[in-house]
Amino acid sequence: MNTRYNTPQIKPFAIIAFLLLSFLLNLSSVSAQDAEKLFKQNCAVCHSLGKNKITGPGLEGIAARAPSDDWLRKWIKNNKELIKSGDPYALKIFAESNGADMTVFTDLKDEEINSLIALIKNPPKEKVAVASAPEAGVAKEEQNGVNPLGILIGIISFLIIIIAVLRGVSHSLKNIQNEKEGLPNEEAIGVWGEIKLWMKDHKRTLAVIILFVTGGLLSSGWYALKEIGVYTGYQPTQPIAFSHKIHAGENAINCQYCHSGVEKSKIAGIPSVNICMNCHKGISKGPNTGTAEIAKIYEAAGWDPEKAEYNKPQKPIEWVKVHNLQDFVYFSHQQHVKVGKQECVTCHGDLKEMTTAKQVSPLTMVWCIECHRKTEVPGMKDNKYYESLHKKLAEKYKGQTITVDKMGGIECGKCHY
Amino acid sequence: MDKKAKKIISFLTLLSCLTIVFTSCEKHNPNSPGVEFMPDMYRSPSLEGNMGYTSISNGNLMQGNKSPVVGTIARGFMPYIYGNDTAGYGMAGRNLHNPFEKNEINLKAGEELFGIFCVECHGSAGLGDGLVGIKLPGAPPSYTSAALKNLPEGKIFHTITYGKGLMGSHASQLTQEERWKLVLYVQKLQNQ
Repeated sequence: MNTRYNTPQIKPFAIIAFLLLSFLLNLSSVSAQDAEKLFKQNCAVCHSLGKNKITGPGLEGIAARAPSDDWLRKWIKNNKELIKSGDPYALKIFAESNGADMTVFTDLKDEEINSLIALIKNPPKEKVAVASAPEAGVAKEEQNGVNPLGILIGIISFLIIIIAVLRGVSHSLKNIQNEKEGLPNEEAIGVWGEIKLWMKDHKRTLAVIILFVTGGLLSSGWYALKEIGVYTGYQPTQPIAFSHKIHAGENAINCQYCHSGVEKSKIAGIPSVNICMNCHKGISKGPNTGTAEIAKIYEAAGWDPEKAEYNKPQKPIEWVKVHNLQDFVYFSHQQHVKVGKQECVTCHGDLKEMTTAKQVSPLTMVWCIECHRKTEVPGMKDNKYYESLHKKLAEKYKGQTITVDKMGGIECGKCHY
Repeated sequence: MDKKAKKIISFLTLLSCLTIVFTSCEKHNPNSPGVEFMPDMYRSPSLEGNMGYTSISNGNLMQGNKSPVVGTIARGFMPYIYGNDTAGYGMAGRNLHNPFEKNEINLKAGEELFGIFCVECHGSAGLGDGLVGIKLPGAPPSYTSAALKNLPEGKIFHTITYGKGLMGSHASQLTQEERWKLVLYVQKLQNQ
């Protein structure tokens, strides 16, 4: 059936009237959801709907304390004017807050303010947060490495024992046969006798085995000696289970936000606790360890999360230094990051994937020099200070890329002085 | 057992001992840095940044990082004269002016700094939609909101220096010059 032409025609006037009406209705009443949104945009930076203080007081029961709704309306719109007008309650609140002032919201419409007051009076029930079981912050990898050489030695000694036993068995069988035939018994020679006998018969094989074993021992000893003073893989447990993965990875916080000395100083710097507090004033619960680890920051900073103020003694956090460069070599982060334009990841590995920081580079001289031999200095080309020097170098090494070593980057005195 | 057997036993024992000694140097414990050889020249006798030291007077572990002695200032450093209160905020807004002119180089420097120090909470366009900002109890207000759109440069500088509301002080991370360059870029975002 074709109903296309049978639909009743709605008069355009009715449509316009309907739209206008709904538009007006929309304007005049702000829905509860919009009120929550408004609150989040304008108020939640300083106020919570509960009792806890953020920077301003918690708003629970504030409507009952205030003289009237009209007073609240005026206060939200322009608290400064209300204070100036000499309103006694406004003056009292201003005095209580130690002169900290609230932002004025002259741009909020009356309906919006009304909806906000309604929201404060009847705060939405807290959505039941799905409590995720706090996982262990650092998944410790089991490192029970089985020594392959040990296995080899075990197999060899096992085989020797089996051979000896089998030969013993064959020896006694032979003796039984000898007894039957009336011949004299062969003398038993024991396991060591057997081994001795075997070694006597296989002098060349023995020599080869001894050669291999000695060679293996010497080379493994040599590599073990080379490991002395090289701390690759050092990943100490820190006093706070700080996760680089959450901060630099998931939240994409720039490395320099916390290690802000990297362009200004020899050391990149372990952030002071006030830098932690820049975010953790507002964030007191982490995804892995809940409130336990962040509470340690509050303890160090002397922050009282209930009253939202610093009122306790401070206590330094004893972080464990991961990259320990020997004192006889000079290294500057500033030089490498500011002029050399090196990325953090080149030496420190992908910390966005690490929980606790781990030393991934050996920090040996070979490692330094290898990089100096193949790396250019990008900051040198467009820096006027180096202009004449760079010209000279370009003349001297025609057609070659000018790497760090060509400008003296592997001179002894550059790093050892 | 005869002498030769004894010799063989002692040889084998020596061999296994040596094997254990040479192969057990692999790092199984991530909490130990490894073996040091003559650490006397590895460790700095003078104080290095971020290192603790033992106090001579009472033997306590002290922090290597120190605040300047009371009444002294670092060379080239100008102390900020306005206090962290409403009066200081107002005065900063009226009296402080950016020493840097608004040119491309300074704006670019400001943009770079913004990408390091502000974008986490304020978002790349200053709308308060940064990855960390949305996790805070309340997102930071947008730079284009009525309250912030016409904020004078002195107040922006004051806010970066002392923080405001949930925002903390960034004075330890940014020099005054860097703060003023940031102000230039924030103003650019205000006027978008």
